[in-house]
Amino acid sequence: MKIADVILPKSLKSSIDLGLDRRSYGQFRLILFLIMIAITAIPATTIALLGYSNYKNLLQKDEQSQLKWQMDGSVGSIEQMVESLKSVVQFAARRDRYEELNTGNNLKVLFERLQGQYPSFADLGVVDQKGIQRAYYGPYNLEGTDYSGEDWFKEVLDRGLHISPVYRGYRFVPHFAIAVSNYDPTTQRAWVLRATIEAETLQQYVSTIKTEATDDLFLIDEEGVLQTNSDYFGRTLNRTELETEPGVRADVLMAGENPLVAVGNIKSTPWSLVIIKKGYINKNEWRSFRSELFFLFFTCMVISVVVIYTLVKLLTTLIRKADEIQIKMMQEAEHKDKLASIGRLASGVAHEINNPLAIINQKTGLIDDLIDMSADFEQKQMIVNSLKSIDNSVERCKAITHRLLGFARRTDVLFEHVSINETIKEVLLFLENAMMYNRIKLELKLQDDLPQIYSDRLQLQQIFLNILNNGIDAIGKDGTIVIISNLIAGDIRVVIQDDGGGIPEDLLPQIFEPFFTTKETGKGTGLGLSITYGLVKKLGGDITVRSNVGKGTAFSITLPVNEMES
Amino acid sequence: MKNTNENIKVLIADDEVEFSSTLQTRLNLRNFQATMVNSGEATLKAVEEEKPDVLLLDLKMPDLDGLEVLARLKDDHKDMKVIILTGHGSFEVGREGMELGAFDYIMKPVDLKVLIAKIEEAYSSI
Repeated sequence: MKIADVILPKSLKSSIDLGLDRRSYGQFRLILFLIMIAITAIPATTIALLGYSNYKNLLQKDEQSQLKWQMDGSVGSIEQMVESLKSVVQFAARRDRYEELNTGNNLKVLFERLQGQYPSFADLGVVDQKGIQRAYYGPYNLEGTDYSGEDWFKEVLDRGLHISPVYRGYRFVPHFAIAVSNYDPTTQRAWVLRATIEAETLQQYVSTIKTEATDDLFLIDEEGVLQTNSDYFGRTLNRTELETEPGVRADVLMAGENPLVAVGNIKSTPWSLVIIKKGYINKNEWRSFRSELFFLFFTCMVISVVVIYTLVKLLTTLIRKADEIQIKMMQEAEHKDKLASIGRLASGVAHEINNPLAIINQKTGLIDDLIDMSADFEQKQMIVNSLKSIDNSVERCKAITHRLLGFARRTDVLFEHVSINETIKEVLLFLENAMMYNRIKLELKLQDDLPQIYSDRLQLQQIFLNILNNGIDAIGKDGTIVIISNLIAGDIRVVIQDDGGGIPEDLLPQIFEPFFTTKETGKGTGLGLSITYGLVKKLGGDITVRSNVGKGTAFSITLPVNEMES
Repeated sequence: MKNTNENIKVLIADDEVEFSSTLQTRLNLRNFQATMVNSGEATLKAVEEEKPDVLLLDLKMPDLDGLEVLARLKDDHKDMKVIILTGHGSFEVGREGMELGAFDYIMKPVDLKVLIAKIEEAYSSI
């Protein structure tokens, strides 16, 4: 058994492999449909998915680089603003001003001048090398406070500058401090000028750079504590879980949203700028692309399904028709084969019966002769009658065997050029009386210019006679017989149709079989059509029958023009 | 029964003895000079010796086929008429017999009147 035999479902096998099984056309159609849909849908889906994810990536990258660019710009602006603030404090703390600021109300004068420029300045303090606040101007009395233990103090001595994260001051207002150190040439000591500034300043900076394009923009310190207000995380000094590592990343901040988070460190401060932007998902461009893609894909699939369904239906019908034709041809071939073997059997039997019949025939003839010669005796008439009856029976047998053999008696066996139309008319001469008696009308539709055929005239007569007799019998009384002759594809075709009772469809295949008859017993031998069939075949032709019960029967005889001419 | 047949010599060649003997009797009753043989070889011999006018020839005999007998006799006995009388006839065989020079071809069983008419027709055509 081949692999194909195992894998292939029955409905896809050739009708020869199927044998007696009928093909399931439903299964055939389903399999074909599914295969074709799969062939169409798999590449289409793959391409759609690829397009979807590629475009998504592209939009994401584009958005990230845009955000990065925006972040760089914003960090630059904030740095500039912080830089200017820092410069002011540095300018105020010129190296030789330590003594000057510690004396009188010089510090106050400086503070007031500064506040004139920058109203968010909250206080100013001068701290000596040991960390003691020597002079202070601001809302509290903080002179003498010792900062020597504080980290910021150590840092400012080391680096010259310190900017603190935002913290809650004594007034519970968020502040940050800028401290600068310098070296006083007179005392040979380092000193520090420290300014406290309200965090509101930062809020203003951030507000100036916040645009429509961003969803949230704020500052955090190194611990992630908010330095300005945030839409997402709340007010200044709230704690966030954000990392200060600079860069752009997608972050899951709140349920259902997938925003991009950009972080940039601001140079020489503890701050990092954070920009939050809701992602591509909400963008119109992405939405329209997605719906276009879906629409295209859906349309393609619908069209594919419709086209494939139509094609598969068409194909199934074609195959069903081809199968039917093949089955019909096989049945016809089988039928012809059967007829041929029945014919051979019948003629063999007829041959064997003819000899004993001939003996019976001769013996009765002899007895008859002998009785003729003898004088009258008592039972003479009875014997003569019996002999007559035997003779009649022999005659009946003889009629059967002779018809079985195809013809009764032939004197001239001749193939000659025959005019079909003439032959038909000759036969009609025999039948004129019978037809007139039964009031049967005749319609002749004979094509005039038919070529002569090379055939046997007497056998053709026999053929037409048999079929016409059949038609007359079928009509009974009152009816019409139509005879048509014409040339079809190089062959001559004669159609003889009657409007008699017709033959039921289930009997049609049997009508050419010997001894098949619908006439009552003794009226027909059941050999007429069988012999006709044999004769037509012998002459190289073909005979077919169509019939409609109640409407009539048509025999169609096709004869080759040049058959047997060699 | 007629007397016009007295001179007609008929040879019946058939392996069915019951048939040929009865036919011989009946033909003789009708004043033919009828004889009979039962095989192909015997037929050839009898034709040489008796020189019949009409030969009634069966096609199927045990030793020689009727058509073969016909083929052998054809050239030397142009005056003798052969009527093929057989139960084993068919369209093709009849045609072949006619081509070999047979006068006619008759299927068994045959009515004696028809046969006699055919014999007389053959005889008168000599």
